[in-house]
Amino acid sequence: MRLAAALAAICCSGSAGAVDYQIHGYAAQGFVLSSHNDFFGDSTDGSFDYYEAGINAAVRIQPNLSFAIQAAVRDAGISDDGSVRLDYAVADYRVLSETSVQAGLRFGKVKNALGFYNETRDVVFTRPSILLPSVYSDNQNQRTLIFTSPGAQAYGATVLGQHELSFTGTFNAEREVRKNDERLLVELTVPFDLRVGDSWNLQVMDSVDGGRWQFAYSHFGGQFRMSTEIDLSGRFDVDLNVFSARFNAERVTLTAEYVLIDNDNRLTYLGAPFLRQRVAADSGYLQVEYRLGSNWAVMSRLDSFYRDRHDRSGHAFAAANPGIDRRTQFSHDFTVGIHWRPDQHWGFWAEHHWINGTAILQALENPPPLRHQRWSMLMLMAGYKF
Amino acid sequence: MNFSVHTPMLQRLRCLLAALLLTLAPGAVPQNSDLEVEVIVSPSLAEVTLDRSLLRAVFTMRVREWPDGTPIRVFVLPDDNPLSDQFYREQLGMYSYVLRRAWDRMVFTGTGFAPTVVRSEAEMIERVRSTPGAIGFVRKREASSQNRPAPPRWKIVAITADGHG
Repeated sequence: MRLAAALAAICCSGSAGAVDYQIHGYAAQGFVLSSHNDFFGDSTDGSFDYYEAGINAAVRIQPNLSFAIQAAVRDAGISDDGSVRLDYAVADYRVLSETSVQAGLRFGKVKNALGFYNETRDVVFTRPSILLPSVYSDNQNQRTLIFTSPGAQAYGATVLGQHELSFTGTFNAEREVRKNDERLLVELTVPFDLRVGDSWNLQVMDSVDGGRWQFAYSHFGGQFRMSTEIDLSGRFDVDLNVFSARFNAERVTLTAEYVLIDNDNRLTYLGAPFLRQRVAADSGYLQVEYRLGSNWAVMSRLDSFYRDRHDRSGHAFAAANPGIDRRTQFSHDFTVGIHWRPDQHWGFWAEHHWINGTAILQALENPPPLRHQRWSMLMLMAGYKF
Repeated sequence: MNFSVHTPMLQRLRCLLAALLLTLAPGAVPQNSDLEVEVIVSPSLAEVTLDRSLLRAVFTMRVREWPDGTPIRVFVLPDDNPLSDQFYREQLGMYSYVLRRAWDRMVFTGTGFAPTVVRSEAEMIERVRSTPGAIGFVRKREASSQNRPAPPRWKIVAITADGHG
């Protein structure tokens, strides 16, 4: 419980002359108890190795110019290490601000819009459940890769009748991948260095009738470059396409999202092509949330992830890779959860996952061959935000 | 083999759909029909015409300044206050949780400001009256009531219907 209740109840907002400012933050401590396999720490014995916290400040110099910055920490077993990071640091210049059309530019370290939940993925208050569905790869720390990065962002929104159309386009500059993330992405016996080349991200969203229906398409395209000291180099092209739909009724919210991930991996040794691999992974879920009142909500979700959409059972993979279990190639997760928000600051979550397949596990946390195909997981979380 | 893998999932899907159908059945939803809400704005603002699309743009924090250039400062009551629910539903055609989601997204991505939450209607009136460019909402005053003290000097503006209601 290192971070729970670490923040005092300070909620700051105000204006000094013409300058408006706000300070907000969040902190949440999780607990994971699983059967057979470890997730976010040594969870078969019960793991508290899962927490998240952040604090941000925003200043509006003029109605069309603002600055915002957020520092965050997150720990999640082997997939995140609890070190302090700059989550975002952004200057926002509003070019156009009218009732029916807005447009602007952002510079700095910006959040990438990908699906409904990516931008605020580390704030449990904005998630439908403690663990995000596998569309968001919560157990593969890709934060420095895809989810937030230095760059420039253009955004805009317009209202057409009942439709509010919005757009976010981001160009991300080349950047280094953190050492802790590298080992989760590439398994190699020699030292290597991984960089993300220029990448771009796009989201278009249609919000119909005050948000009753929401539809979005998001795309991320990027290149990873790997270099070693032994003349082995790699180039991994990644394309993510996310399709999202949500229906918001008074008590019920239905959400469905699907991601198609195209990987084109090329390894070169001594200047000559060494390995070429093209794999398309995919993942999707159907989720229902039901609000029992203003403080309580329950949810349920059916979530599937396949490492190779053309080999959903994993048989072809197992045949080509003797010694590796086919069940590492998929996972199906059925989740039920409950959520209590006694006031605007506190939140408490509990959920149970029944999982078939081990594709969402980290190999470093679960060294082969000890993998159980069918496993389950209880997750608890307590959080505070201001 | 594929079949053995997917059958339990199909069963769960059926359960989920059944649960879903149950949740979609009409339930008795308490409506506070005795509550009437009205918008209040800062006395410093010139006369503004608020229709639903402008109100939505203001309360979703998409527009940041009034037509005269004054920065917009939005005040709201806590999400679980019945008046909030009533106001968002009737005047904006939105649910409070959808608005809260949009505000949280802005606050935790550095892309916008959240409205300032006040604890009571009295505080709302005080903050709106004393803050330039402020907008908020309160319970509607009864015009026929003679025993009430004189209304404070905040401006109450009519909301024009835009055909979407």
